[in-house]
Amino acid sequence: MSDLATASYLAQADNETRLNKTLRPPFDVVHRFSAQSIIMTTIAAILLFVFLSPILLVVAVSFGEKIEGASWVWAFDPSNYARVFVGIGWPDEITLLYAYKLGYTLAYAVLGSLIAIAFAFPFTYFLSQCSRPVQAAWLVFILASLSMSEVFIVMGWDIMLSNRSGLPALFKATGVTEWLKETGWLAVLKDWGLANPRNVKFKTSQMATVLTMAYLVWPYAVILLYAPLSRIDRSMIEAARTMGAGSFTVMRTVIVPVVRIPVMGTLLLLFVYLLGAYVTVTYFAEPAHQTLPVSIYEAIRGATLNAPFGAAQAVVLLSTAGVFIFASLWLSRLAEKRGR
Amino acid sequence: MAGLVLKDVRKIYGDVTALQNIDLVFPSGKLTALLGPSGCGKTTLLRIIAGLDTPTRGSLSLNGDDITTLPANKRKFGMVFQSFALFPHLSVGENVAYSLSISGVEKSTRLKRAQELLDLVQMADFQDRRIGQLSGGQRQRVAIARALAQEPEVFLLDEPMSALDAQLRETMQVELRLLQQQLNITTIVVTHDQREAMTMADEIVVMSNGRSEQIGSPTDIYQRPETPFVASFIGKANFIDGIVRGGRIFVGDDAFDLEKPASFVDGAPVQLVCRPENVELCSVDETSPNKLTGSVSFVRDVGPTREVFVETNAGRVICEMPSSAGAFVAQGENTGVRLRSNSLLCFPGQAPAAAGKQTLASASHQENVAA
Repeated sequence: MSDLATASYLAQADNETRLNKTLRPPFDVVHRFSAQSIIMTTIAAILLFVFLSPILLVVAVSFGEKIEGASWVWAFDPSNYARVFVGIGWPDEITLLYAYKLGYTLAYAVLGSLIAIAFAFPFTYFLSQCSRPVQAAWLVFILASLSMSEVFIVMGWDIMLSNRSGLPALFKATGVTEWLKETGWLAVLKDWGLANPRNVKFKTSQMATVLTMAYLVWPYAVILLYAPLSRIDRSMIEAARTMGAGSFTVMRTVIVPVVRIPVMGTLLLLFVYLLGAYVTVTYFAEPAHQTLPVSIYEAIRGATLNAPFGAAQAVVLLSTAGVFIFASLWLSRLAEKRGR
Repeated sequence: MAGLVLKDVRKIYGDVTALQNIDLVFPSGKLTALLGPSGCGKTTLLRIIAGLDTPTRGSLSLNGDDITTLPANKRKFGMVFQSFALFPHLSVGENVAYSLSISGVEKSTRLKRAQELLDLVQMADFQDRRIGQLSGGQRQRVAIARALAQEPEVFLLDEPMSALDAQLRETMQVELRLLQQQLNITTIVVTHDQREAMTMADEIVVMSNGRSEQIGSPTDIYQRPETPFVASFIGKANFIDGIVRGGRIFVGDDAFDLEKPASFVDGAPVQLVCRPENVELCSVDETSPNKLTGSVSFVRDVGPTREVFVETNAGRVICEMPSSAGAFVAQGENTGVRLRSNSLLCFPGQAPAAAGKQTLASASHQENVAA
């Protein structure tokens, strides 16, 4: 082959190689794509199984039938749900025992998360104004406090609120109880269920339940609010000040509206977390004011041993949480649209 | 006294002095530009004027009333921020009406006022838009309208054009100036862009290292800079080191005459400053004062003008001439450059190491501008 022919052949071969590279996907890309698909599909399947199967099982069990003196059998019996809302004697009589428990569950969770946000919001706002070292120190402290379990926190509050060694004892020793008696405040506190004729009494009470719940989620509120509050453009606050807004007006008209969506998200997260609070309620709420999670535990592992009824209560609780979340999102979107 | 008056204002942050001994008067109805490089203290000064920061020392008064300790929300000076600081949760109209809303003005009145202001800044059809739907230029207009809603006695703008592209910036500079003239409101603009300051301002305050270097009209600042810093910061300038001898300035063996003789003692080091447009090319053989010779190192045409870079024994001298000028020199060619005596400025120069004692003595006698 002459030099010219060799050069022409090489040029043609080079062109073909380029053409192939342009038109055909390289083998390794196809290979990688399919491997990626397999991994993703596998992970998705595992996740679906792990997350959905317990829920589906609970839903299935909730329609099961309790055998008196024994366990339960698979069935399609909706009476467990009827019992949650109107009692076991329905339709002859209506008992709202579990409906009340659901009400207490929602009320404690809403109040606990609102109180936590009410304290966390200003704290986090002022924290975000501090110097970096101060912010870092506080955040480390708050993150560290997350390592405390609900049991540990409840134990601390139990001691703090107990009649013999906690705040009531301190009130008595320091003369605050006597002062409350003299001023008539003890009678008022007694009416509110926070005192007996001799001294203040914080256990058991709904106040102690809600406050402990708020304390439980307060660090989460700070951590969740820290990012949006520290990202607020300072010049917006300064602009509002130059237009005549005082500190409270700035907070009301600029800061809160700007971070309303993260605040709403935080509120929902805390609410969902508190719906499942168990230890706090068993310690601080009297039996008549206890919540659905306590009842669920009683049904599944506790005294009543009725897994289908426990599962039905769990499904109702889950559905209620879902309804609350979707209603909140719908309302915030509606407010957003009206704002526009 | 009418207008805003600052007396001996200082601001110190720990070991850093951000502002020192600022004495300024901002005349009523005039636009003043605070011009200087980054970190010179101009924004700090604007924030002190707005009431967002307090001075470490000194006082501020407005129309004779002391406002030094008056907080920002009581001063109610309209301010446009560098980032515009518009409220994303409010519509354009609500943003403009914000100051009226928080002061309890009735809804219909404040919306009417917002519409008037949006008309003024040519944003009449945007009242119901969200801030996220606006371009940079539109946001700036809304920020201006919002700051004007409370009818402030003083209007402050902190680098208002920095977020805009070059073309829009030019347009907005003119529009803002026309608006300010229409409203006749005392306005203070912070900028590091000398072109912006020259375009808009009645008066420019050139700042450096927390000090006010020179105050004057744009023409004064450009043509009669009082310090080498002002000369170098505003426009381009040639700097040539020389020594005073017998009322003349010598750069090596080349003599330079000023329009008015320099009042420096003999032997004092000085710095001659000349704008490139005041430098002419001339023949190498020409024997006249105010002339240097050298070789052309670079020639560039910048639209209407041409710049010739000449490397002389006193350093690089840039000569600027109209592009239409007939004289053309090529790179590498030897040429003479003549500095016009009527535009030559003379400042105290750096003392050479050997002549330090004499220079320090002479520096106390000299006047800094001899042109």
